[in-house]
Amino acid sequence: MMYYIKLGGILLIICVIATGILAYVNSVTEPKIIALKAAEAVKSREALIPGADFEEVKVSDDFSYFIAYKKGSKELLGYTFTAGKTGYSSKVLTMAGLDPQFNIINIKVIDQAETPGLGANCTAPSFSDQFKGKTQEQMLVDKDGGPIKSLSGATITTRAIANSLMEQIQVLKKDVDSHLRGNDTEIGNDVTLAKDKQEVGQ
Amino acid sequence: MKLLSEVTKGIIKENPIFVIVLGMCPTLAVSTSVDNALGMGAAATFVLICSNMIISLIKGIVPSSIRIPIYIVVIAAFVSIVDMSMAAFLPDLHKALGLFIPLIVVNCIILGRAEAYASKNNVINSMADGLGMGLGFTLSLVIVATIREILGSGTWLKMQVMPSSYEPMLVAILAPGAFITLGFLMALMNMMKEKK
Repeated sequence: MMYYIKLGGILLIICVIATGILAYVNSVTEPKIIALKAAEAVKSREALIPGADFEEVKVSDDFSYFIAYKKGSKELLGYTFTAGKTGYSSKVLTMAGLDPQFNIINIKVIDQAETPGLGANCTAPSFSDQFKGKTQEQMLVDKDGGPIKSLSGATITTRAIANSLMEQIQVLKKDVDSHLRGNDTEIGNDVTLAKDKQEVGQ
Repeated sequence: MKLLSEVTKGIIKENPIFVIVLGMCPTLAVSTSVDNALGMGAAATFVLICSNMIISLIKGIVPSSIRIPIYIVVIAAFVSIVDMSMAAFLPDLHKALGLFIPLIVVNCIILGRAEAYASKNNVINSMADGLGMGLGFTLSLVIVATIREILGSGTWLKMQVMPSSYEPMLVAILAPGAFITLGFLMALMNMMKEKK
């Protein structure tokens, strides 16, 4: 009996030490990782729509988009947002930049863990380039009768990207429309990287 | 020299993939292209050396009946530390290798070497063993990946090597292609051994 208690005790002590070390490392690294991720998101936005100031608009708890204005003026350059949908083995997050007419300027897959060599090829520019200039209605893969060419062996990944973009452009259009009709004075009052998140009163 | 033979035995005589047949899961998953294979190999080698070192250090205080859970705790904790510190301090390297780090926790080469070698040998030899096994693992991954990438995408390390008229053999980069390639390579290894 004592023998088993002793074994359990040793295991417990080792687990406690390991947990303690992990907790400490996590407390040191976590703020850095979050800051790096945020900086990367800013960088991706700037790569999609260069020379712009971004203002965040929150639509719901899980979707917000950014309005891009030309630096220092109120000229509308477009919109950016992040769309996500489950692909083959992970959630595929795609950041898209749209012009004021809601045509895609460019897209960038920012997070995925799809099969290396197949679905993971969705991060290659040769894949994302085909989205340039496309509209919401064209967000269909070739197997569904659309113009988006599937990655070979990874139709599911391609479909996740196209479908998530189609859905989110729809949400974006609706929200922008409601703003234009209603309180159009509210947009563009504060042209900075909006840290005070504007609430959408709907 | 004995130390040197500890390193070289992992490369051919006790090759973790073709001879011991350990760590098949990451082998199948990441051998689709040569750059993936190199990334996985580098990350696994690093963890292998360090975990062998730690296991060898604590071998005196670990009761043998609960050694496996303790090894798993040590390896998992160590891999998580590597993952988090890399994400925070070396973000570029983490971007390239980050995908492979969680795979290392379930890589049985690490646990296999902890059990079969590091728990019975001194620290220096254990680290040499980790280095050799890591190199053998990397080399095997690169061989498998070379065949699969050339057949499946017509490229090597993302450079075009096949004529542009070559139609890529998709099965080679799918999981069945990994099994077929491995099977042929193991048969080849056994054939060479029998001839000796």
